[in-house]
Amino acid sequence: MCDLNEDNIKTLGKLCRIEIADEEVPGLVRDLKRVLEYVSQLGQADVSGLSPYSHMEEHGIGSLRNDEVGPCLSREAFLANAPDQVGGMIRVPIVIKQ
Amino acid sequence: MYKLTARQLNKHFLEGSLSAEAIVSYFLKRIEAFDPQVGSFLSLYKERALEKAGRLDQKRALGKPLGRLAGVPISIKDNIHVKGEITTCASKFLANYRAVFDATAVRLLEQEDAIILGKTNLDEFAMGSSTENSGLQKTFNPWNLSCVPGGSSGGSTAAVAARLSPISLGTDTGGSVRQPAAFCGIAGFKPTYGRVSRYGLVAYGSSLDQIGPIATSTEDIAMVMEVLGGHDPHDATTINAHPDEYLSILDSPIKGKVIGVPWKFLEDLPHEAKTLFVESLEVMKGLGCSIVNVDLNSLKYSVATYYIIATAEASTNLARFDGIRYGVRSSKAETLEQIYDYSRTEGFGREVKKRILLGTYVLSAGYQDAYYKQAAKVRVKIIDEFNVAFGHCDIIATPVSPFAAFQQGAIQDPLEMYLQDIYTIGVNLAYLPAISVPCGFNKEQKPFGLQFIGARREDVLVCRMAHAYEKATPFATEIPSIFNREA
Repeated sequence: MCDLNEDNIKTLGKLCRIEIADEEVPGLVRDLKRVLEYVSQLGQADVSGLSPYSHMEEHGIGSLRNDEVGPCLSREAFLANAPDQVGGMIRVPIVIKQ
Repeated sequence: MYKLTARQLNKHFLEGSLSAEAIVSYFLKRIEAFDPQVGSFLSLYKERALEKAGRLDQKRALGKPLGRLAGVPISIKDNIHVKGEITTCASKFLANYRAVFDATAVRLLEQEDAIILGKTNLDEFAMGSSTENSGLQKTFNPWNLSCVPGGSSGGSTAAVAARLSPISLGTDTGGSVRQPAAFCGIAGFKPTYGRVSRYGLVAYGSSLDQIGPIATSTEDIAMVMEVLGGHDPHDATTINAHPDEYLSILDSPIKGKVIGVPWKFLEDLPHEAKTLFVESLEVMKGLGCSIVNVDLNSLKYSVATYYIIATAEASTNLARFDGIRYGVRSSKAETLEQIYDYSRTEGFGREVKKRILLGTYVLSAGYQDAYYKQAAKVRVKIIDEFNVAFGHCDIIATPVSPFAAFQQGAIQDPLEMYLQDIYTIGVNLAYLPAISVPCGFNKEQKPFGLQFIGARREDVLVCRMAHAYEKATPFATEIPSIFNREA
């Protein structure tokens, strides 16, 4: 089931925006493969007739509040942690190029 | 004073035999003297704590009403927000992040006049079982400074064990309160999922995370739980009910209670842990409980299930750390995409990256059914098995961990580390309450923990059982020798 390898781990990294240096590849592949091989035992569990999300409603997961405007952070509070800002807004590099 | 429980400190304060300022100064002095050896605190709120203590002393002098935790110093795991203070999650990514609101749990504690001493160390973003994954500092086990304190709430449990903080708030996603509490010889409680609001807790695995108290006695745990439980409109998963009453019924008899033990699941339990566990069951029998065998064989899948569900949720939750709105932005980044890539790559530690990668993998197209959905089904199977088991018993007992605290750096294999939580993880998957109480020592004088697991919302019964055990045994009052003295 597990086809993670040294060739495709950087692609996986791209999906979650984590760059993997060449020297990190063998160790990461070894560790992740070991965990993936271990978790593949779940394939042996008899789960016939079970619905994967049947318990969630009971625990409030997935319950939504009403879509109403409520109090939220002030601009000042929100920007207090921004790594870079200008004129009351978060500054980022130019995204749309001419 | 370090031998007093939080409840005793509160009583002394209310009676006027100790001022809040004297209590806070005393613990700050202990932290300054001993924490360089333990490494439990990431930040200390010296001025804030003394200022609050002064206000409490004034309130008392004026005869104004005082909160239920008046004069009690508390430390907070550093993945829970205290407004105006830094929340690092022990990650370089959040080294400068200043919380803009209070976690509900923190607000409730402060409303009841608890005094926050500071923030404690953890595995980065609570991902780990030894606190060795902290991106900021090492924490050492007060019973043996060459060993780990357990994790991920290792800073909190080490601080309480060394009597630097009478109570600490930890978080438990797969055992992160109970396992370090066992390693440090103190009590740690994981409430029913939804009993304590997660608002203001930096999310790791949202369907598993739960804030829980860590203390030297179950009475202190009960005192904190009376304040923490309750519905919170900011967390839709909180249970819509008033906090439970604990203290008035903590001492009610447990005679006749039926304790279930999943013997088949425990068949590989190492000798040392098994001996202490069997002795603990004898104590419970002596208190009038009976022991029955229960079938929880699906728990053999719990670690595998957990590492799919928790990492899937983590990869989603940690997507918010992008270097744009908060956190450390990479100075090398020149484009928007580089901000994301470089900030995350530089900011996250190795274990966090590994779990995000794993979570991304199990959720990716083509694998989701085989991994994530299958794990979600096994989770339901585990829940069903617990439900059946609780039809035959009132409470379930297991050890907390197969081993005592291990040497720093001793476990390098990720799977071996993950298996440390084999007896605690099922509780989170099934949304249940459970407690770890000290149950003795091995030949090297390292503590072990006994776990009581309750049915959903049987939090009070869990604490009652633990309290009865604690009173019948001498382990809870043991203090690590190097810290069993004045600063």
